[in-house]
Amino acid sequence: MSVPAADQDILARRSEIAKGLKSIIPNHLVIDDDSSMRAFDADGLSAYRQMPLLVVLPETTEQVAAILKWCQTEQVKVVPRGAGTSLSGGATPLGDGILLGLGKFNKILEVDYDNRCVVAQPGVTNLGITHEVQDDGFYYAPDPSSQIACSIGGNVAENSGGVHCLKYGLTTNNLLGIEMVTMDGEILRIGGKHLDAGDLDVLGVMTGSEGLLGVVTEVTVRILRKPATQRAMLVGFDTVQEAGTAVSSVIAAGIIPAGMEMMDGPAINAAEDFAAAGYPRDADALLIIELDGPEVEVDALLERVEAIMKSEGATSIRVSTSEEERNQFWAGRKSAFPAVGRISPDYLCMDGTIPRKALPEMLTRMAGMSQKYGLRVANVFHAGDGNLHPLILFDANAPGEWERAEAFGADILRNCVALGGVLTGEHGVGIEKRDLMGEMFSEDDLKQQQRVKCAFDPDHLLNPGKVFPVLHRCAELGRLHVHKGQMPHPELPRF
Amino acid sequence: MDILSPTSLDEVRDIIRNCLSDETSLSLRGAGTKSSLGNPVVADAQMQLSGMSGIITYEPEELILVARAGTELTEIEALLEAHNQMLSFEPFHPEILYGGTSSGTIGGMVGAGLSGPRRIASGGVRDYLLGFNAVSGRGDIFQSGSRVMKNVTGYDLSKLMAGSFGTLAIMDEITIKVLPAPETSVSLVVSCSDLASAQAACSQAFASAHEPTAACILPRDIAANVNLGGDAFAAIIRLEGVEVSVANRLTEMQNLLGPIGELHSLTQELSANLWRQVRDAAFFNETHEQIWKLSVAPTACVGIVNKIKTSIDASYFMDWAGGLIWLAGAGERLGADIRDVMASNGGGHATLMRASDDRRQNISVFQPQAPALMSLHTRIRRAFDPKQLLNPGRMGA
Repeated sequence: MSVPAADQDILARRSEIAKGLKSIIPNHLVIDDDSSMRAFDADGLSAYRQMPLLVVLPETTEQVAAILKWCQTEQVKVVPRGAGTSLSGGATPLGDGILLGLGKFNKILEVDYDNRCVVAQPGVTNLGITHEVQDDGFYYAPDPSSQIACSIGGNVAENSGGVHCLKYGLTTNNLLGIEMVTMDGEILRIGGKHLDAGDLDVLGVMTGSEGLLGVVTEVTVRILRKPATQRAMLVGFDTVQEAGTAVSSVIAAGIIPAGMEMMDGPAINAAEDFAAAGYPRDADALLIIELDGPEVEVDALLERVEAIMKSEGATSIRVSTSEEERNQFWAGRKSAFPAVGRISPDYLCMDGTIPRKALPEMLTRMAGMSQKYGLRVANVFHAGDGNLHPLILFDANAPGEWERAEAFGADILRNCVALGGVLTGEHGVGIEKRDLMGEMFSEDDLKQQQRVKCAFDPDHLLNPGKVFPVLHRCAELGRLHVHKGQMPHPELPRF
Repeated sequence: MDILSPTSLDEVRDIIRNCLSDETSLSLRGAGTKSSLGNPVVADAQMQLSGMSGIITYEPEELILVARAGTELTEIEALLEAHNQMLSFEPFHPEILYGGTSSGTIGGMVGAGLSGPRRIASGGVRDYLLGFNAVSGRGDIFQSGSRVMKNVTGYDLSKLMAGSFGTLAIMDEITIKVLPAPETSVSLVVSCSDLASAQAACSQAFASAHEPTAACILPRDIAANVNLGGDAFAAIIRLEGVEVSVANRLTEMQNLLGPIGELHSLTQELSANLWRQVRDAAFFNETHEQIWKLSVAPTACVGIVNKIKTSIDASYFMDWAGGLIWLAGAGERLGADIRDVMASNGGGHATLMRASDDRRQNISVFQPQAPALMSLHTRIRRAFDPKQLLNPGRMGA
């Protein structure tokens, strides 16, 4: 994966650009010394490091607007950054672009229980929103595994998910409104405490746009009442195929659990070594099924799910009987990444989604690829919605292993698309999957997406080099080719 | 007027390319049920899309259904019902408001983006549109989204399509996420002395752990008409799910809302009928000159309606716990007054759902946006349809 070559003219103007920015925002908000900038040289995709041209840390929406407007005029690129936890390189800096950090936007502005929403600045952490309202019995539903650190603004940019989105949706389904700034410095308010915005759904297209369309400076999110009861079930199977069928059977029975996770043998053992969660080591597949809601409902559904699991050939079933035990069940799954980190010097976490029915086929193919590339793989899945997180184990110090791991990962994602799925379920495209976009989209598909980009940012100044493998100039994208008299179907009736 | 009736996406593309070369604008028509919703369209020709119909794939275990845009909504709903599944967002059925016998097409449903009572609990049309393919106003075939539940690959153009009233592209295959239908459903009616307490009942219900899936408010006259209590406002809360759970939650909800007013519950059948009426605004009739829909913060509905009622003779009811105000009235000033009152009570947006062509010619059917946002919307439309060939003027510039 390559990062675009830096524009030498911009590099040469660095001190002038710093001076320009200091003329519009207070000096201390412009960071230009290498040691302070070092903290911003990568996001969660830490294999890619790059010092930004400069870092700016604005404190107000007006400052963000002034910075963007100035950069538009001066044709300087901007990379927005929340907490920098992106796993796809969404916030990887550009050497010839300023990094716009939103960390100082860290306040919760309003809690409104009657309308069940929270208004917050984008730098507030995902978990920070739940912390603000949990004493009153509420929570914010999307729960990406980085929720202790990741920012709510970053969640909007990436349309973050989590283990509970099977029932509660992704960020896009829980976001009511935003304030945002476009590259030309316009401040826009979209949505709010009401539903929908009354014209084109700009809120919807902003969510998951990976920082390419605008900078979010305020969010309004839906909060939910905490369910009365949450209980989890651990189910072991001899084969991943059986476990996959069991997942489909639960859905077919009309039950949508709050979460339905699967781990394969290597992941089970790594997690058990690390967290001693009580997982069955002899199982080749483990399901963690969580049900939530009123106690009588959870009891009734647990009974039904247990019956389904038995008829699908479960080899072990345990149901949590206390909150402590439920947390213990989850401890293994939630520590799967660090657990795998202990059995391998390095790992690469992939994120494709496939139709659930394709799971057995995908796992067969993955075993074949594992042999081909000579690298081990451990699998954790959000099985309920077909979202895979294969962890490819490698040693970055062993010559050629990093390249093989990357090729293995790309192969997995190609297979996801071939089986009717997608390149990324929740981590985003960023730079990591940028060059694979052609696997899923035609040139025309990608051009149409880029025309939307042009409507927001015609000079490609906001987070360029992410998401799209080839950047077309907006003037070129806007050109119409009218083929008068050369129609494939000139005979088409017009009656 | 020319009527073009393509049967495939390739034919649509060829037509659009012809239209581009001679700058022929098109009005798009599915079943034509909502053609009087939106700003009046003046176009050179009409594209009839009912020839692009049929359910392509339905996989209950995968929770997806793929249908061509011209497929009748009722055909899809019947198929889902036979498998105990549903369109969770309870799409609006247009017969009552606009007449006719068709419930419209799935393409029209997505284009209008109108969601029913469950919108507040589990999302609207926009939240369940997983993907589509289409021809843009540039004459290019493109696709976006997918057939899986969880996907963040590229921009979410499905969101733009939902509610775009055919001003961006002409869709063919539409992929929708479906959900299991609840096993049982009951409604609890709370008789309230005034609007404020009815709204409070709705907010309390949604702030509870008893998981309501809908809440509406009927004023005295409408509540009396549908036999829901004497001289009182009715707050109606719907509970759905597994039978034992619904029974339990009904008791809990009765305990919670008992202090607000007298309670009674509706049987499954009465409940289903009532929510269909709420979904389709069936409490209004032909005599209402204008019918408006206001999306506001739920608690704001009280101030907005009380203020409007001081100067205007309007009939109304609310869905979405108060967040959706349906309002019927008459007069040249009605729209402007509604939007003024709304703006000074926390904001939101108001759509003129039904009125004569004349009336719709003289007021913006959709909520006017702030200038910078309006200009962004125009740029987005041009990104799909640079020559304004598709439903020109139906929704903004």
